[in-house]
Amino acid sequence: MSEQKKEYNKPLPEFRPETKPFWEAAKEHRLVIPRSRETGEFFFYPRALSPGGDMSEDIEWVESEGRGKVWTFSIHHMGPSKAYKGEPPYVVALIEMEEGVKMMSNVVDVDPGEVSIGMDVQVVFDDVTDEVTLPKFKPAG
Amino acid sequence: MSENLPGIQETRELLKKKKVVIAGVGETEQGKIPDKSSFHFLSEASKLAIEDAGIKKDDVDGLVTAFSLVEHTFMHCTTFADYFGMNPRFFSSVAVGGATAVWMVAEAAMAIASGQSEVVLCVRGDNTLSGISSSGMLALIREMCHAEFEFPYGLTTPGGYALAAQRYLHDWNARREHLAAVAVTMRKHAADKENAMNKDPLSIEDVLDSRVIAEPLTKYDCSIISDGGAAFIVTTEDKAKELGITNDLAYLWGMGQGYSHQYLTTLENLDQIYNAVERSGDKAFNTAGIEPKDVDIAFLYDCFTITVLLELEGLGFVPKGEGGAFALEGRMEIGKDLPVNTHGGLLSQAHLGAMHHVVEATLQLRGDAGCRQVEDPEVAVVHGNGGIVSAHSTVVLGNQPLN
Repeated sequence: MSEQKKEYNKPLPEFRPETKPFWEAAKEHRLVIPRSRETGEFFFYPRALSPGGDMSEDIEWVESEGRGKVWTFSIHHMGPSKAYKGEPPYVVALIEMEEGVKMMSNVVDVDPGEVSIGMDVQVVFDDVTDEVTLPKFKPAG
Repeated sequence: MSENLPGIQETRELLKKKKVVIAGVGETEQGKIPDKSSFHFLSEASKLAIEDAGIKKDDVDGLVTAFSLVEHTFMHCTTFADYFGMNPRFFSSVAVGGATAVWMVAEAAMAIASGQSEVVLCVRGDNTLSGISSSGMLALIREMCHAEFEFPYGLTTPGGYALAAQRYLHDWNARREHLAAVAVTMRKHAADKENAMNKDPLSIEDVLDSRVIAEPLTKYDCSIISDGGAAFIVTTEDKAKELGITNDLAYLWGMGQGYSHQYLTTLENLDQIYNAVERSGDKAFNTAGIEPKDVDIAFLYDCFTITVLLELEGLGFVPKGEGGAFALEGRMEIGKDLPVNTHGGLLSQAHLGAMHHVVEATLQLRGDAGCRQVEDPEVAVVHGNGGIVSAHSTVVLGNQPLN
């Protein structure tokens, strides 16, 4: 997916101290998901403290195989701003990961009309700028 | 409905004793009104509500406002107190998105019950349609989702609701017509509301064939953006008598909140949303001592068609998955099973959170809804939702004191 870099005007994530490991891994084309060492429970999005009852700060980043299923999706025919001109239709989807957490993302490399709930997907990495890589998903297999 | 919620009996006794009421309402014109500011609308709506109650500005000793999407202020309530020229003993800005207006009633009631205030002005106004800049609109879309883990994927606000709608259609084997039917009923009701923005007849086909915004939602599944203001006065029956208010009063019978998630990323399933709606409803209904079948009219937050179905089902008016059929059979229309949003709602009248829902519920209970009047309604429910069906608030209002 590393096509010729053009100017990227779409919104970029603003890293927080506690989310930096996620984005640093993404840049290396690795998907990592935070897990509380105390309870062994995965959570997403990343937080400084586990959102479970343990409120643990002892968090490990576990490398994911990047497999999941489309839990729901919407083919967007309008983007949020002018920066999306020419992009629609694109697919925004909630992916239910094998780890049990959900991630908001795009389903790419597929005709939007072919995306369905329950579809198996696999992570791919989109280097949108030199600093930022967005994990996205494509149909598996 | 669970009987063992904490605080139900205490709240019921308090509301029976205090007899908290909505004693005056006001709505400005709604639409595209480029020559009025946010604070102009707030002031005008306040004046209308004060005049409707037939009281003086100085009789008001409490103020509940919300926020502006155009003029951002750190302390919205006191900024408005200064602009309007009042010196409230109690002031608060409620900011829970679309759950705000309904919770303003509760906020005022709690201030009154705890002796902080006797006559509370609740007001919202904004020039969202004319005043919001494209960067302001983008900031709003960003705020409606997770800025770091959702927004970079191009998720829009209609898109967030579309994600919920798509899952709803999947889980219940429902069709787009079921969503469209909500928009059709709202449009039918708006035809008889003086200040409604969209009154032209709308058919199911019109909704289905209109521009697709975010599948499965089209243009008419989405609420309108408008300029305007609305306000209501909350006090007690005793104070209303003392002030010589002659309006029929809408009595507060119960209130409740329910929280599901802030970001769709942390939503487990649709039941999580239903449970939050139900929790807010349970508390309000149990305090009021009523069941869904006792409700004569409902005002359900309709920022998108999908929310009405989730609320109809979550509040227990219809079984889960059957909201669409209920809408398609026209059973939300005036004169049918459960009239919903008799003023046309956010889909066809105007968008100011649920302010107009509260105002219309009051007018209906008073018998002042003109040609939209439902025959002798005694119990009304108003439900608001903020975020992407995230934060919920419900109030039950009656045309008689709670007993």
